[in-house]
Amino acid sequence: MEGLIPESLDEALEALSERKFIPIAGGTDLMVRYKRWKNLPPSFPSLPLFIGHIAELSGIEKKDDEIVIKAATLLSEIEQSPLVPSILRKAISQMAAPGIRNMGTIGGNIVNSSPAGDTLPPLYVLDAKVVLLSKNERRCLFIYDFITGPGKNQRRDDELLYEVRFKVPKHTHEMYRKVGTRKANALSKLSVAALASSRDGKIDDFRIGFGAVAPTPVRVKSIEEKVKSRHVSELSDDFINEIVNEYGEWIKPIDDQRSTALYRKTVALRLLRAFLLQLKPV
Amino acid sequence: MENREFNVVGKSIKKIDALALATGEVKFTADIEMPGMLHIAFLYSPHPHAEIVDIDTEEAKNIPGVVLVLTYRDVPDTLHTTAGQGYPEPSPYDTRILDKRVRFVGDRVAIVAAETKEIAEEALKKIKVKYRELPYNLDPEKAEESEQIPPEDAYHLLPTVYEPSKNLAASVELSFGDVEKGFSDADFVLEERFEVQYANHCAIEPHAAVAFYDERGRLNIISTTQVPFHVRRIVSRVLGIPLKNLRVIKPRIGGGFGGKQEVFLEQVVALVTYMTKRPSKVVFSRKEVFVSSRTRHPMITWYKVGAKRDTGEITSLYLKALMNAGAYGPHALTVMANAGSKVLPLFNKIKNLKFEGFSVYTNLPVGGAYRGYGATQGYFGYNVMLDMIAEKLGIDTLEFFKKWHIKKGETSPIFEELGEGKEGVSQIIRSCGLSECIEKGAKAIGWYEKRRKRIKNGDKVRGVGAAILMQGSGIPKIDMGAAYMKMNEDGSFNLHIGATDIGTGSDTILAQIAAEEIGTSVDKIIVYSSDTDFTPFDVGAYASSTTYISGGAVLKCAKKIRKEILKVAQEMLNVPEDALYIENGTVYTRDGQQKVSFQDIVIYSLYTKNQHQIQAVASHIGLESPPPFMAQFAEIEVDIRIGRIEVIKFVSAVDCGKPINPVLVEGQVEGATVNGIGYALWEDYVFDEKGRVKNASFWDYKIPSIRDIPEIEVIICETYEPTGPHGAKSVAEIGINGPIPAIANAVYDAIGIRLTKTPFTPERVLKAIKSQGIKL
Ligand SMILES: Cc1cc2nc3c(=O)[nH]c(=O)nc-3n(C[C@H](O)[C@H](O)[C@H](O)COP(=O)(O)OP(=O)(O)OC[C@H]3O[C@@H](n4cnc5c(N)ncnc54)[C@H](O)[C@@H]3O)c2cc1C
Repeated sequence: MEGLIPESLDEALEALSERKFIPIAGGTDLMVRYKRWKNLPPSFPSLPLFIGHIAELSGIEKKDDEIVIKAATLLSEIEQSPLVPSILRKAISQMAAPGIRNMGTIGGNIVNSSPAGDTLPPLYVLDAKVVLLSKNERRCLFIYDFITGPGKNQRRDDELLYEVRFKVPKHTHEMYRKVGTRKANALSKLSVAALASSRDGKIDDFRIGFGAVAPTPVRVKSIEEKVKSRHVSELSDDFINEIVNEYGEWIKPIDDQRSTALYRKTVALRLLRAFLLQLKPV
Repeated sequence: MENREFNVVGKSIKKIDALALATGEVKFTADIEMPGMLHIAFLYSPHPHAEIVDIDTEEAKNIPGVVLVLTYRDVPDTLHTTAGQGYPEPSPYDTRILDKRVRFVGDRVAIVAAETKEIAEEALKKIKVKYRELPYNLDPEKAEESEQIPPEDAYHLLPTVYEPSKNLAASVELSFGDVEKGFSDADFVLEERFEVQYANHCAIEPHAAVAFYDERGRLNIISTTQVPFHVRRIVSRVLGIPLKNLRVIKPRIGGGFGGKQEVFLEQVVALVTYMTKRPSKVVFSRKEVFVSSRTRHPMITWYKVGAKRDTGEITSLYLKALMNAGAYGPHALTVMANAGSKVLPLFNKIKNLKFEGFSVYTNLPVGGAYRGYGATQGYFGYNVMLDMIAEKLGIDTLEFFKKWHIKKGETSPIFEELGEGKEGVSQIIRSCGLSECIEKGAKAIGWYEKRRKRIKNGDKVRGVGAAILMQGSGIPKIDMGAAYMKMNEDGSFNLHIGATDIGTGSDTILAQIAAEEIGTSVDKIIVYSSDTDFTPFDVGAYASSTTYISGGAVLKCAKKIRKEILKVAQEMLNVPEDALYIENGTVYTRDGQQKVSFQDIVIYSLYTKNQHQIQAVASHIGLESPPPFMAQFAEIEVDIRIGRIEVIKFVSAVDCGKPINPVLVEGQVEGATVNGIGYALWEDYVFDEKGRVKNASFWDYKIPSIRDIPEIEVIICETYEPTGPHGAKSVAEIGINGPIPAIANAVYDAIGIRLTKTPFTPERVLKAIKSQGIKL
């Protein structure tokens, strides 16, 4: 397979400023997308730019109160890092299978921007920001602003995703559920990531994100606001029903070979309800 | 034959091809490359039913590197069946290599042969086809009134029901006693409809075939086949090439499961090589395996059962089966008939019984042989009905099973009435370990501690369920296998068998059977199998027949060899025959005075006196088909919030007679169990409104991965089958039949919901929970 192997980040950005390439990190999405007959190399529509080996694009660190994960960090590294919040680690541990997690990167999952991308719901609820670099510019966007549709995002052809960063939340409740056909190498029928914190009976934080139930991951801050600052004793059946119904307006899944719209919606809302019930005192 | 101490049989020796397979030295069909080899690709129909009005191949033919483009106008139009069965095949002759009418999305339209696969693929795009679309039907329940699917001139070799104009590929009826009276005598009658879906065999190795001319001008075919001798016969007939000019070789095979009991690539490579005089090769892509090879036949079954409340006697049973054959009819009669014949004898004391089966054509992918072969489809409803009756009677399902299942010394009228395309063969059960299977399996799963307990943990509820099964060992009075052996100077033996090892390990166990009988070790047996020039005939690897049928031939052959050896030894030692015995490659006199080694015996027979080759040949047909028995148990957990079923533990307790090689028995049972769990929970074909398969890849069609496989316990409940080689019966298929009903019964145990349609996906389970409500 032909392609360009830059020696540094600068060289990669320089190359991108001159012509269109397809950046390839782990290749676990791309090699499947462009595969051909057995024994033939895949056929890429533009020249691949290999970035998986670039040291500056790999690593996890804590900077002040933020965790910074470089784009080409392997999924398996993130899964094992104690710096990374468990909600993201849990999500990654249920992605693909060990072999793919040893090749695939978080940047690849983000830029691939699939509605079923499993790192996305946790990154949405973590209020993660993505940093994009081009030869002359650095941009920083919230992940939910970056992703615009199925397979669509704000990345320009001359940019690389450089890193993803987020503050570590101080939550008391957490839920991550992925429903797939089987336990490994199965894309999500749907997934739910949720965080909340309640102190002295007061809910001071509540965030929930849904994957594979709409063209992009779903996070609705206006509904979250309604839950926030409530006292747990206010989580009546009526109130929970109201919240569930409101999310129902936002969850618009489709029928496909993996599942049905009805199932996805029903289960997404059932898991939401389960999470709200977790917050209630027993 | 009687049970005795064995030296080689009953030992888990390594598969004789294990090392070569593990080191990758073995060549599979797809690995074969030859100078000048042509590569073949197929153009497939995008329509579920259409007539080809015009087909223009000019542009494709002009692409450099394209050697041959064939349409229905260019190929022999012999009607045949692709089912690799004995002759006359019990499947309709409804297929041509290429036809003017195409019958499902994925049916063949044209064949291209080119210098490379890439060029062949390119050429496909340049073939211009004008179709006239025809009405099509995807619903087996509407087959009769739909547009005729099979060709007008399709026919059946056997005197059986075949009505192409009504899309009826086959039907059978069997009844005894008075079913209606049986129902009116019953205290209660239960009725239910069950449905099982399409599935693929998913053998690791896709279908492939190679053809070439050897230096004597004979056409050689190497292919991924379970049935080399049927391949030779069918290719000869379809292409009109004299049988003597064909040689078919089976190399190592990466799994078959019935999918390779079909002959649909061999005639194509043979034709291309015949026309071009160049070697040719075709290797299916995974998508082609899913869409254009063969599948599990979907089936709807309706059960109606009446029983007495006090005794639990089943007074009447009615089973109707409607099988979707797909667009062509390979195995359409026999798979459907087996839904009755392999299932209904199990409770042999039912006096009033009726079975009606129908196989119909639809414009969907083509069904074929698949491990379980109708029994899988039939046992779902059967075992669920038994569980329902036991519940009504207020007794434990296992007690109900044990009271009524067929036992040693008993028979069933069904054995005689229902055969494979003709009447069956009556038989008495000579070995049956089913009650022991039930007891040991119950213990292993923890039946009495867990049943009806509905142990809850958060959203998850546990349950246990069971199913009992039988299968057969070959097709009685039809299946034949033969073996040839000769002895070499060093005391080794060549064993030549037509039998077809498709990864099952049959080369190994047949060597064990021979070594045991002769009194030598397996490393002295050089096995060569499945080559129509150099091995005697064998029907092939299907119907759970190899150990029993081919093994029977090997045993007979080994007995003859043993006799020959003793004859020579007698001459050498000058003692009567009964004064001799064999142990570990040496002949001893019983008085302990004299001995002579195998090596000396052969040297004597080849070079010294009265020179001759020590050799033997033997054939064997099964006069009966002794069933293996099995009890399977599932412990499952249902997540009632999301509808997901997880199998926690699965137990398969099997009676396969004497296990020739216990580890290979366990392998077969574990494989079949996992195969069955995948079919029960996930595997399915997703079609669009035209019958196009939307999930024809391992990405979208999910089989169990290693993490999905629960703890599986295989328990071998050994019996001795007096008609089998060293007491053996079959084992390869039976284990796939129980997971569906065992899991369904376990789900009922957990949440009180009867699932009647597979696969039991979370979508379906949640829907059932929502509509039926759970009873906890
Ligand atoms: C068998 C299998 C199972 C899978 N299972 C799952 C699963 O369960 N859940 C799931 O979410 N995904 C799954 N995937 C998809 C895939 O593994 C993930 O999306 C992975 O994170 C992609 O990372 P990568 O580095 O391999 O991406 P690549 O294939 O290298 O790239 C993916 C896309 O991102 C772009 N890209 C990558 N890095 C950058 C960068 N730094 N800057 C700009 N653009 C970039 C590429 O150009 C491409 O468009 C699976 C894939 C396979 C093959």
